[in-house]
Amino acid sequence: MLAIVAVPAVAQQDTAAYQLRSVEVFGKPAEVYAAGSRVTTIDSAYRRTYNSSSLADALQAHTPVYFKSYGVSGLSSVSFRGTNASQTAVLWNGLNIGLPTLGQSDFSTLPLSGFGEVSVQSGSAAATYGSGAIGGAVLLNSHKYNGKGFGLDLQQEAGSFGRYFSNGRIRFGSDKLTIGLGTYLRKAENNFTYQDMSKRGRPETTEEHAAQHQYGFTQDLNYNLSSNTKIGLHGWYTFADRELQPAMGSATIAGQLDKNLRLMTQLEHESNFGKTDVKLAYFNDYLNYSGADTNAVADVQTYQLQAEQTYTKVNNWSLRGGINLQHFIAENNGYAGTKQENRAALFALFRYDPTPNLDLSLNLRQALVEDYTPTPTPALGFNWRFYQHEQHHLYLKGNVSGSYRVPTLNDRFWVNAGNPDLKPEQGWSEEAGLRHLFIVGNNFILETEATAYHMLIDDWIQWAPDATDRWRPVNLQKVQTMGFELSQQLTATIGNYKLTGSAGYTYTSSEQAEVYEGNGDKGKQLMYVPLHKAVAAAGITYKNWQLHTTLNYTGLRYTNNSESHHLDSFILVNAALSRKFDLGPGRFILSLRSDNITNQVYQTMAYRAMPSRGYTFSLRFLIP
Amino acid sequence: MKRTLLHSFYTAALLFASTLTFTSCDSSTENEGSISYADKGVFILNEGNFGTPNGTISFYHKGSGQVVNDIFSKSNDDQLLGDVLQSMQIHGERAFIVANNSNKLEIVNHKTFESVGVVQDLKQPRHFAALNENKGYVTEWVAYGSMGQVSVIDLENYTITKTITVGSMPEQLLISDGKLYVANSGGNTVSVINTATDAIENTIQVPDGPSEFVIAENGSIWLLSAGKVVYNDDWSAIDYTKTTAGSLSNFSDPLKGMQIITFPSNQSIPSNLAINGTGDKLYYNYQDKTYEYPISNGQLDSKVIIDRSFYGMAVDPETGNIYGSDENGFSGDGTVFIYSPAGEKIKEFRTGIAPNGFVFN
Repeated sequence: MLAIVAVPAVAQQDTAAYQLRSVEVFGKPAEVYAAGSRVTTIDSAYRRTYNSSSLADALQAHTPVYFKSYGVSGLSSVSFRGTNASQTAVLWNGLNIGLPTLGQSDFSTLPLSGFGEVSVQSGSAAATYGSGAIGGAVLLNSHKYNGKGFGLDLQQEAGSFGRYFSNGRIRFGSDKLTIGLGTYLRKAENNFTYQDMSKRGRPETTEEHAAQHQYGFTQDLNYNLSSNTKIGLHGWYTFADRELQPAMGSATIAGQLDKNLRLMTQLEHESNFGKTDVKLAYFNDYLNYSGADTNAVADVQTYQLQAEQTYTKVNNWSLRGGINLQHFIAENNGYAGTKQENRAALFALFRYDPTPNLDLSLNLRQALVEDYTPTPTPALGFNWRFYQHEQHHLYLKGNVSGSYRVPTLNDRFWVNAGNPDLKPEQGWSEEAGLRHLFIVGNNFILETEATAYHMLIDDWIQWAPDATDRWRPVNLQKVQTMGFELSQQLTATIGNYKLTGSAGYTYTSSEQAEVYEGNGDKGKQLMYVPLHKAVAAAGITYKNWQLHTTLNYTGLRYTNNSESHHLDSFILVNAALSRKFDLGPGRFILSLRSDNITNQVYQTMAYRAMPSRGYTFSLRFLIP
Repeated sequence: MKRTLLHSFYTAALLFASTLTFTSCDSSTENEGSISYADKGVFILNEGNFGTPNGTISFYHKGSGQVVNDIFSKSNDDQLLGDVLQSMQIHGERAFIVANNSNKLEIVNHKTFESVGVVQDLKQPRHFAALNENKGYVTEWVAYGSMGQVSVIDLENYTITKTITVGSMPEQLLISDGKLYVANSGGNTVSVINTATDAIENTIQVPDGPSEFVIAENGSIWLLSAGKVVYNDDWSAIDYTKTTAGSLSNFSDPLKGMQIITFPSNQSIPSNLAINGTGDKLYYNYQDKTYEYPISNGQLDSKVIIDRSFYGMAVDPETGNIYGSDENGFSGDGTVFIYSPAGEKIKEFRTGIAPNGFVFN
């Protein structure tokens, strides 16, 4: 029962595997302690086809989260349940990788090919994931390489607007050792055309400043020292050199260079006292923004240690206690000299299943940050299967959780912007939901879920000018968000046909409940939070052919907090057709895809043109 | 089965989506038919967010008290006006709008607000002044910290006919008695340009940070200098032993000397210099207050007239009412406040992002 919580990939599992997972207790992901939360995973059919996409594109197409993209090449920041980008935690193998200077991640520099698994937890989860997990958390995990012997994966892609993508991965596995190496290269001119709204008559204009050049490497090694001890070494490097696409009619011409190195080693050991898991990591995040009058450099080194001990009484309860330590060394030409900071957190996660039909979790975290220690953060959740008859399973679930976000390094150390009165953000959220599973043998699974939530975030930190026009971070407002989320996932096999489908709709209301400085805009929808968003995806596989389509409807978004200007709603449709050919031990996959098939004119960030219809051709060779 | 399943799936999604699309079209037409921009009123510049072409202009109709926002877009097929509206000047039939981070000067008929021309490829333009119907001048920073320039604009065919290098970060400019005065805010000079030859005649020394001009009743010029802010070596704080205080300078012929009034503290930067219609009272913001200074002797015997400062401020030459604005953190529409000459609040209303200036019609 335990692992059913981590249900997400249902769509890809056959029932046997699905039910097998129910008894799988060992090596549980963190979501085990998230009873009553909503976790979704990007389906693997999509991932295979859209390997060259950024994480931003994938989540925008597949989940209720909204991304603000500063054009096709610029920063892409996330909004979960009406919160802002720094109110989302991004974890890689369980460790927070958000940029400590900005307190957020740029999803456009995270290629889908760089990690093996991505899941998304909606709602507050700071007790489990720490600072920033207010609106939600994005969980990335390194590739897992199974099977013995050699494996190979090579891919070359070419597409419209001067886009090229190359990807290669090689793996080797034996009884004791698995090792995988991957690399990718992405080049794009992004010279699409758009109508320039800033000029008379909206002339058709070619985008000339959105080119990008990205590459990266991954390295994953797992070694079983003994039957109960294993070590892992993971490395991930990403490089991105980009022209930042300006807003129409703006003369701001700038570029950005990002270099992110993430290294970690992990030791897992089983004993009578349970499982010991120690992770030690080093991250180096370099960012250089250069414009006409600016050349800003931020170079941050992060050392992180996370040690956990998990004791599990099979099928009944599990307790995990742990500590997380972070040490930052930051160089930034906005700071006066090199700045260092230490942060610590203690956490305890408890999961109890009093009956096979009821899961409970209780989590608690206390973060310790000099001058900015937040109050203790608890979370309590349940997942109750209250009805089961033949193929029908009905669950009721819910949780109440606290969350927090400590000020970023920029909030703290930016020259002349220090605000000694600044407090950490604190949030409270409650959610409740119903889930229905309809399973017919091995051939048909339909999962339907409905969730309603309410969240209050107090002391929301925002930079604003003071009376002397000095910009500094302040606890500007208290924000209330509420909404509901509906989703459905289907997997069916009918004869030679295999169908997968998913659909989701979210309603999100997010507004200022109190304003602590200035006039504010109480009671109005916050900017860039769509009230309505719907996504749908469908895949059909017949013998060697596969067709995969996605649809994303994003409703009207206001572009300021006064509801006086807005971006129109849009519908984006993508489709991909692929055919595989077996060749000896290997397999070729040819695919042709079209993004924005209907040539929708749309923007996710005001006045940043987005690409028109494009085509991509891909050839992939695999030795599984 | 598969076809029907998929089919109904998509049909449902599309139907759902399109319903929302149709209901989400909002109406931007208000009851504004009776408003004419030729009537007595106030044009309000909402500068917008830096890097985004969402600068807009609002019109406050004094007769009816109505406010119309986005008047440029409304008169020009929803065209966006520009990125960081810095300033506007009305001369004759035309209004000249400087869009700083769009590097352009947009020219409109001020009675209809329809665009009649544009001067592009300026370099961080700041302020404009028209000499006559044929010639005008724009100050340009060129680049932060470098020497700025003044471009001479042909107002018949909207071309740049000459550029004149001036001092660092030239801000406001003022034409008086055949001379163009340019406040070089990055240093401590005012460039004096002969408007007949468009050549620099003189560069005069003034207190640090000259930025704003007004002309008084007696024809003399008042110049506001912001002072110079100096940081300590590691940029961690302002060094107040080296920072200079702001000041007001008054001169008729700068070669014959000027009267300088220095503000008492270097910890606050004076801004938003304005003058009333009769030209005998100055107004400015300082130490988070609004002061009124009846031009008299050399003493700065000002009084606090409003207990706050503003993002932008101006005085209605006709009524003496004081217009001030709040920028609302640049995240929502800013507020405009109107005060009586005695400093009592008469009215307030919302306009656009970061209202920074007022032009009276």
